[in-house]
Amino acid sequence: MIKLINLHKNFGKLEVLKGIDLEIKKGEVVSVIGPSGSGKSTLIRCLNLLEQPTSGDILFKGASVLDKRMDIDEYRQHIGMVFQHFNLFSNMDVLKNLTAALTYVKHIKRDVADAKAMELLKMVGLEEKIHAYPAQMSGGQKQRVAIARALAMEPEVLLFDEPTSALDPEMVGEVLNVMKQLAKSGMTMIVVTHEMGFAREVSDRILFIDEGIIQEQGTPAEVIGNPQNPRTQDFLSKVL
Amino acid sequence: MFSSVKMLRMLKYLNYFQSGILLTLKLSAFTLILGSFCGLIIGLMRLSKVRPIRYLASAYINFIRGTPMLVQIYLVYYGLPLGLNNFWAGVVAMTIHSSAYIAEIVRSGIQSVDKGQMEAARSLGMSHGLGMILVVIPQAIKNVLPALCSQFVVIIKNTSLVSVIGMQELMYQTDTVRSITYLAFEPLIIAAILYFVIGYVINLLAGALERRLKTSD
Repeated sequence: MIKLINLHKNFGKLEVLKGIDLEIKKGEVVSVIGPSGSGKSTLIRCLNLLEQPTSGDILFKGASVLDKRMDIDEYRQHIGMVFQHFNLFSNMDVLKNLTAALTYVKHIKRDVADAKAMELLKMVGLEEKIHAYPAQMSGGQKQRVAIARALAMEPEVLLFDEPTSALDPEMVGEVLNVMKQLAKSGMTMIVVTHEMGFAREVSDRILFIDEGIIQEQGTPAEVIGNPQNPRTQDFLSKVL
Repeated sequence: MFSSVKMLRMLKYLNYFQSGILLTLKLSAFTLILGSFCGLIIGLMRLSKVRPIRYLASAYINFIRGTPMLVQIYLVYYGLPLGLNNFWAGVVAMTIHSSAYIAEIVRSGIQSVDKGQMEAARSLGMSHGLGMILVVIPQAIKNVLPALCSQFVVIIKNTSLVSVIGMQELMYQTDTVRSITYLAFEPLIIAAILYFVIGYVINLLAGALERRLKTSD
């Protein structure tokens, strides 16, 4: 569904991504692991063009999203994103967070949007928080609302940028559970994570990225159970 | 010297102060509205990705903030070939002046909003403009409300300067009462109290608004 061809990204003189080739199939759950500064967040941010790639191409269903004629706002509706710091709209309550894009981007009627929001909040177990503001919720609750907000747009792919890194340890589980549930439902997911347990249990494929290139990839059993690349071995020995 | 007997004489001239304050409020209202609108536009231009637009806004802000308002009032009144009467010349000059300050408040407000807010809006398919309107600007306004409130009070006090082009606002009327009564001091006390009361009401309103916006904290 998404294909990256020789993707490069420079920040000034610093080359962060040094040629990434990758194909993500529909329904696949891919975890991206690697040391900090390796380029994994940049990679995922390039996927929905929050960062403009320097060279290379990104194909979504065969069409280049870097093409000048591509409507980026339209493309992003198909690619949901969950951020490390949640980024819930702090001037809106939970309901408005979920329905703002439905109402103003998709022009869906308010009552239909509200019903959809309610359904998603039930799914993440937060229907009683419907009128709460982000500042009144815990990190875990905020992240679950953020997942519901991304799902409200009915995206075909969901990107997670270290979704549990900013959480207190006791809240990691509730967020991972929602993500596992999503993975089981067949959602295509690309997850940048430090949660090796999650990566091993849920992913179809793990990518190990270091120094801006994919050093190793394969099933969890291959990459975590029996890593071949010395860099992967070194990284895993530090985190496991 | 100051005496209560002299203060009581002021009661005879209340109609002067009354007509003065009405004009002051009218001048202030037009300037607040036009100044805020122009300030918002110039503040957004100041943050534009297009370099010439950014430089233009920057130059405007620097020039206006670096020249006295009195000079600006005279320049607009005598210099602009628009045939403005003195009321509109006053409003235009004060709008030009205050918009530069409000633009800087707008810029700092928008920059105070976490970048992640706009990224989240864009990731949901919102355009940059929609993200600004729905997410960034409401939060920016909340952040700059105290600064904006001070600026509004400054604008109201600055209306006293347009007496120099013959606007019969509060300061002008105060001078009239001074010359009728030969009292140098007492009319100024009345004017000071009236300016203070208007400013205080603005502060109260802003405080109430701030508390209402606090619901999201």
